[in-house]
Amino acid sequence: MPNQEQVLDALRVVMDPDLHRDIVSLGFIQDLKVHDGKVAFNIQLTTPACPVKDDLKRQAEQAVGALDGVQAVEVTMTSDVRPNPGAVGKGMIPGVRNIIPVGSGKGGVGKSTVSANLAVALAQTGAQVGLLDADIYGPSIPTIMGATENPRPGGRGMLPVVTHGVKIISAGFFVKPDQAVVWRGPMLAKMIEQFLGQVEWGELDYLIVDLPPGTGDVQLTLCQRIPLTGAVVVTTPQPVAVNVAEKAIIMFNQLKCPILGIVENMSYWESRKTGEREYIFGSGGADKAGEKWDIPVLGKIPLATTIRETSDGGRPIVLEDPNSPSAQAFSFVAKNLAAQISIRNMKAEAEDLVKITF
Amino acid sequence: MPATDQLRPLEIGRANEHDVKIRWSDGQEVVYPARFLRFHCPCAMCQDEMTGERRLQESSLPKDVHPEAIHPVGRYAIQIYYSDGHNTGIYTWEKLRALAAEIPEWVEAGK
Repeated sequence: MPNQEQVLDALRVVMDPDLHRDIVSLGFIQDLKVHDGKVAFNIQLTTPACPVKDDLKRQAEQAVGALDGVQAVEVTMTSDVRPNPGAVGKGMIPGVRNIIPVGSGKGGVGKSTVSANLAVALAQTGAQVGLLDADIYGPSIPTIMGATENPRPGGRGMLPVVTHGVKIISAGFFVKPDQAVVWRGPMLAKMIEQFLGQVEWGELDYLIVDLPPGTGDVQLTLCQRIPLTGAVVVTTPQPVAVNVAEKAIIMFNQLKCPILGIVENMSYWESRKTGEREYIFGSGGADKAGEKWDIPVLGKIPLATTIRETSDGGRPIVLEDPNSPSAQAFSFVAKNLAAQISIRNMKAEAEDLVKITF
Repeated sequence: MPATDQLRPLEIGRANEHDVKIRWSDGQEVVYPARFLRFHCPCAMCQDEMTGERRLQESSLPKDVHPEAIHPVGRYAIQIYYSDGHNTGIYTWEKLRALAAEIPEWVEAGK
């Protein structure tokens, strides 16, 4: 019968492929109990959406099961999302651990559909997720998510509307359907500040922010007011789309907002009957941008008639048709995104933000 | 593009009564005189947006103008609040690093 030290030593062969260290030195092993031939412990990952969760569990079971005297191994997977190190301090929203803006160089790439489905996919893994629709001129999140109520006032600010497990705030809640928003720049910046500072978001692992298309006041305000964990850039597959996506990439680079990854939307159309794929919009856009700017491609989302239907109907496809290629692609991207966030936060922990002692 | 590989301040603190000291990630420590920082404010009122030419007249600045508070802007700059009420300048790390080269001339001219 091994002792605790021996169990931990056995577990050192299990490597986290994203963080490039073994799970023992990463501090993931918790509540280790060794008793009467049975070994039980938790593996506490940095996100419930870890893409290799099942694989790590299996490796751990095998490593410990191979020890002399061990008859049973019980492994429970838990998670604790680490906050972005900049998340504690002036200007941050208490309780919100990571803020992730989703941007594009222009409109029409399906950014809001991507934001909504990513938010729901992350929530499906057990994370606490918020979705801030900062696209004032075309706020489509309430429609995509089927949010029919309005936010109500809480004790210390507005309460977000909760739909499909995600807390939502959108300019769309405050503007009547027959009104257009005709605002100058400073009003936009003010609105963003209110959405960040005067909404009771509560405890969130991830706050996804659906940015307006392009590069302007909202993006600037976000990057100036709070240290963001990192951005996601949505593009379409045309090689020429790279030039457009680049505008968003360059903007985030200039504002020193890390870019967590690129998502290629409307990548291809796949026939449900034959599995045949048609690359209606060409291909290679995201790969080209990713290679040029050294940014990982988080995934490629296929076109499907189902997406449009469900977007209009208020149920994101990850809920409406979870086995469809599109839904699976979204889940895949969500897990990759969560992994990139964990990597980024671990790196940022090691490198401190500037200390201002003035 | 990992931001961490670039030159950035590790610590921004005080030197003398009113000056600002920055310890950079490459080990360099630079003291920025208070009035020097105010004169080189990068906002659109103090300099021409397009050419970068100074619009601010050095002679119009009080001799003892100095920073009263410094706040971070995202992860890429600081905003300085001055004793004369001026506070619209956003000083990026690149700007601060470039300004360091002009300090000796300023000090020598006895400003």
